[in-house]
Amino acid sequence: MKIPHKKELIELQKKYRTDKRIGEALGGVPAYLVAYWRRKKKIGRYSYPKYSQEQIRELWERFGDDAKAGEELGIGSHAFRRWRKRYKLKEKPVQLKLEQLKLELDINFNLLRKFMKYTIARNLLASKAGRKKVEVGEIVEVEPDLAMSHDNAGLVIKQFRQIGVEKVWNNRKIVIPLDHRAPAESEKTAIAHKSIREFVKEQEIRNFYDIREGVCHQVVVEKAHLLPGQLAVGTDSHTTSYGCIGAVSTGIGATEMAVVWATGRIWLLVPETIKITINGKLPKGVYAKDVILNLAKRLTVEGANYKAIEFYGSTVKEMSISERFTLSNLSMEMGAKFAVVPFDETTQTYLVGRTNKNYEPTFAGEEAEYVQEVELRVERMVPQVACPHNVDNVKNVGEVTRIRIDQVVLGSCTNGRLDDLEIAARILKGRKVHPEVRMLVIPASRSVYLQAMERGLLRDFVEAGGVVLNPGCGPCLGAHQGILAPGERCLATTNRNFKGRMGSPQAEVYLGSPATAAASAIRGRIADPREFL
Amino acid sequence: MLKKIKGRVWRLGDNIDTDVIYPGKYLPIIEAQEMALHALEGYEKDFPKKIKKGDIIVAGANFGCGSSREQAATSLKYAGIACIVAKSFSRIFFRNAINQGLALVISKEAHKLVKEAEEVTVDFANGKFSAKGGEVNFPPLPEMVMGILENGGLIAHTRKRLGIAK
Repeated sequence: MKIPHKKELIELQKKYRTDKRIGEALGGVPAYLVAYWRRKKKIGRYSYPKYSQEQIRELWERFGDDAKAGEELGIGSHAFRRWRKRYKLKEKPVQLKLEQLKLELDINFNLLRKFMKYTIARNLLASKAGRKKVEVGEIVEVEPDLAMSHDNAGLVIKQFRQIGVEKVWNNRKIVIPLDHRAPAESEKTAIAHKSIREFVKEQEIRNFYDIREGVCHQVVVEKAHLLPGQLAVGTDSHTTSYGCIGAVSTGIGATEMAVVWATGRIWLLVPETIKITINGKLPKGVYAKDVILNLAKRLTVEGANYKAIEFYGSTVKEMSISERFTLSNLSMEMGAKFAVVPFDETTQTYLVGRTNKNYEPTFAGEEAEYVQEVELRVERMVPQVACPHNVDNVKNVGEVTRIRIDQVVLGSCTNGRLDDLEIAARILKGRKVHPEVRMLVIPASRSVYLQAMERGLLRDFVEAGGVVLNPGCGPCLGAHQGILAPGERCLATTNRNFKGRMGSPQAEVYLGSPATAAASAIRGRIADPREFL
Repeated sequence: MLKKIKGRVWRLGDNIDTDVIYPGKYLPIIEAQEMALHALEGYEKDFPKKIKKGDIIVAGANFGCGSSREQAATSLKYAGIACIVAKSFSRIFFRNAINQGLALVISKEAHKLVKEAEEVTVDFANGKFSAKGGEVNFPPLPEMVMGILENGGLIAHTRKRLGIAK
């Protein structure tokens, strides 16, 4: 074993901090030996940056938990406790109760009366830009609250290195889950994943989720990395999904993300907003997916290009966060920049237990100005299917029931959550997948996977003849795990049916709800789920 | 910097999506030159081979809709496309193209004027698009966007802003 030089040891200490971790990095050198070398070379113990009293107090009041507060600073729970004791913060803070939050909400509404004519996008971008008001069409420069990248972080890293900035602007605001090609399907991907893992260590990016965790968007929402009233950018078009919890979020490219990592800033155009009001009780066999596909048909694939969408109405009010997720997710397919379901009790309940952080939801004013208002009643809606090769090529399920299929994909960020799997399992239980159909089931996240396991849903799928894959994007984007051959057809609960999306350009992808997927898997043809309910 | 571009036209339709421009299976590629070998491969298998340096794409509405993959813009730029003229661009593609330093023109009328493979001129200084079928004016891009384009893309632009490069 070669003893490292003083310089090397200092470098190692910068990277790994403790003797124990330095030892591990050197391949299992015991900590006492590293400490001995240090003393010999006159290198002190790693000293953590000094945290101010306000900082510690603020974190303590926000979390009331040493481990969670420590995590924000990148230190352990014991270390945080020592800091806390140094500043004599002994009593546990009063936790925010639901009622207190509600009270705050009322106050918020009052504050917002000033901006009665503002949409959510305008209100939020104005506050992010630190301005009283902003106009539609204006370009503002803002700091996002979250910057999400997935496997394409590999490309972001390459671009980031070209800029010539050493450290990322904020290692707590970057989230990287690996999901698109997880586990790595090729050597190229394996190399990219490896470079991401190394970068994450080097930059001390804490919110990194390796291949085990699930689809990036699901992970962000599930783990409350973003909160209502906050702004996110992500290197994935379906970043609009976070609108389901009342956040404002949008997709950008890798180069743009590299610049966000380097500078913490991004320019955004203040968009016009479309107000979509959905009313009525959803009939049997009709779900959020059918509603949004129907909307895509009405508005077309560029109907919301450059625009924000806000969802209102009794149907939306009744929807769970998972269903709202489907709305915000697929709004991207109409070109939407943001797609927000305003914060309400459902959002609040969803976030209890997921976060202790304070947040301030953003609302639209009562007289907000919209560029377009769309109203939709759903009582008479029937299950919808988007036919090749555009998401707005939507038909009633009855028009396409003769079409034979070779594969069914149940999963993705659009429809891979517990309620989606439950609906499909209910239909499949006691029945069999058609012998000529390959049914792939891909839970959206590890947490969904575990819950589906506990409830016996995975068993139902496997018994019916389905194949359960690991959480991730699966074949949605044509990367792996179920690529289509020329001439094959697939019914998927995913979000895109473009030519060549799931493999061969001569293959066809149809999009439908989890119920339609399950019914079609049984029939071997696209089927109306209402016949099974 | 951007003044006049003259080039041969590739005439494409509406809703040319990112999976057509750059199929998902090539996403692990990170070298721009290699990306260029697959530009618009989903549209026509041999398309990348047919593109000549300096060609201009004239497309319909919603060009580049779909994924946020910037490889769609990068592959076109490195395949030699000098400029894309379209009735409209999808939001993310628009940003990606500008960030890569690929010039864009939004014009509702240009598509009607051109025939496949003819030579057209895009005059940025005067905001004029000319083909055999006639001439149309197009509005300039916002000043800030033009700045990124003129610096040769967002990386170069940022380096300049941060004072890393002159």
